[in-house]
Amino acid sequence: MSSRRPPRGEYIETDTGNKVARKATLVGTQNIMLGGKTVIQPEAMIRGDLIRTIQAQPQSASGAAPNNTAVSIGRYCFLSRGCCLRPPGRLYKGAFTFMPLRMGDHVFVGAGSVVQAASVGSHVHIGARVSIGEFAIIKEYVRILDGTVVPPNMVIPSFSIVAGQPARLIGEVPEGGHEAFELRDLYKTVGNNPQPMPI
Amino acid sequence: MSSKRTPHPPSGPRPPVHLSSSLTISDTAQLTGTHTIEIRSESVIHPRARLESSVGRLAIGRRCVVHERATLGAAPVSSAGLGRVEGVEVAVTLADYVTVEVGAVVEAGETVVGEGTVVGVGARVGAGAVVGKHCTLTPYTEIAAGEVVPDFTVVYSNGLRRTDKRGVAELKNKGMVRQIDVLRRMIPSNPAKFA
Repeated sequence: MSSRRPPRGEYIETDTGNKVARKATLVGTQNIMLGGKTVIQPEAMIRGDLIRTIQAQPQSASGAAPNNTAVSIGRYCFLSRGCCLRPPGRLYKGAFTFMPLRMGDHVFVGAGSVVQAASVGSHVHIGARVSIGEFAIIKEYVRILDGTVVPPNMVIPSFSIVAGQPARLIGEVPEGGHEAFELRDLYKTVGNNPQPMPI
Repeated sequence: MSSKRTPHPPSGPRPPVHLSSSLTISDTAQLTGTHTIEIRSESVIHPRARLESSVGRLAIGRRCVVHERATLGAAPVSSAGLGRVEGVEVAVTLADYVTVEVGAVVEAGETVVGEGTVVGVGARVGAGAVVGKHCTLTPYTEIAAGEVVPDFTVVYSNGLRRTDKRGVAELKNKGMVRQIDVLRRMIPSNPAKFA
């Protein structure tokens, strides 16, 4: 497919600094919000087409367009190869609806992970091959180790380290361990002219 | 953006299909193989789901939901398994109300998934396995080739099993009907592409 094109960068870099791989699958792009400086690696998939069909409160009579955002992602997020973000869905007042997936800043999603959480806070590290069940809520500064299965509706408090199938709290982020969650340096190492990781 | 590009052309020959008129199939689903793929009424095939019929026929029942990147009829990892790989009649049978979640794999070789069963995220059902009715395979579960899983079993990815005694099978099916109703309006369906 890309062989027919003249050689171009592997990534599309937007004005706001997002680096989106050409081989990433974004479905329903109009419903995906990227905060800026977000990296989406090849084969990552975001389901923006699964929008909310029932609004919690009836829309105000001003005729404002309903907020259709299905997936919103903050700044400096990193979506690794083969991961998948999809909004969770459930029965609400007798009808099925999807709910938006909200993600904070500096969220790392490992390779092959599937995220169906309701919200993921800022500075969260999700390992590889992790499954995050529907409507899980992950607070800030959480580390989820590789291969974890977070069951649906689980709430993970701030500064916890979880692992296992099903996920269990196995520890806390140590004092001064916050800096490891910063993804600014990682952001610079990918793209069309990547910089080496500073040591 | 990538969603506006034309999807990858399916590699290999186009399989003969037997699609119900009331199903929802995304045009980025991938149907490959040489045997017939039969999908019965009101089922939903999400974008980027892969249906491979190179080993044998695929039979998908009513009101099934196959999520993105799920693979039905994948070539078995170990051909030494109990499932017969050569010359099978039906490679994969999904009964009614089956959900195959993101990235799950159902291998080919007379594999049967019973009514109302949920195959979780990234789970793998081996060739020739027979999964009973209303089972739940949690994420990243592996069902060995040729294994028989009784009805109402919940299989955990660390190997634990228990029996589901909640008796909510009817309710789950009703919930799926509602879900399919919403998905049908959300996923642009293009069955003509595969016919």
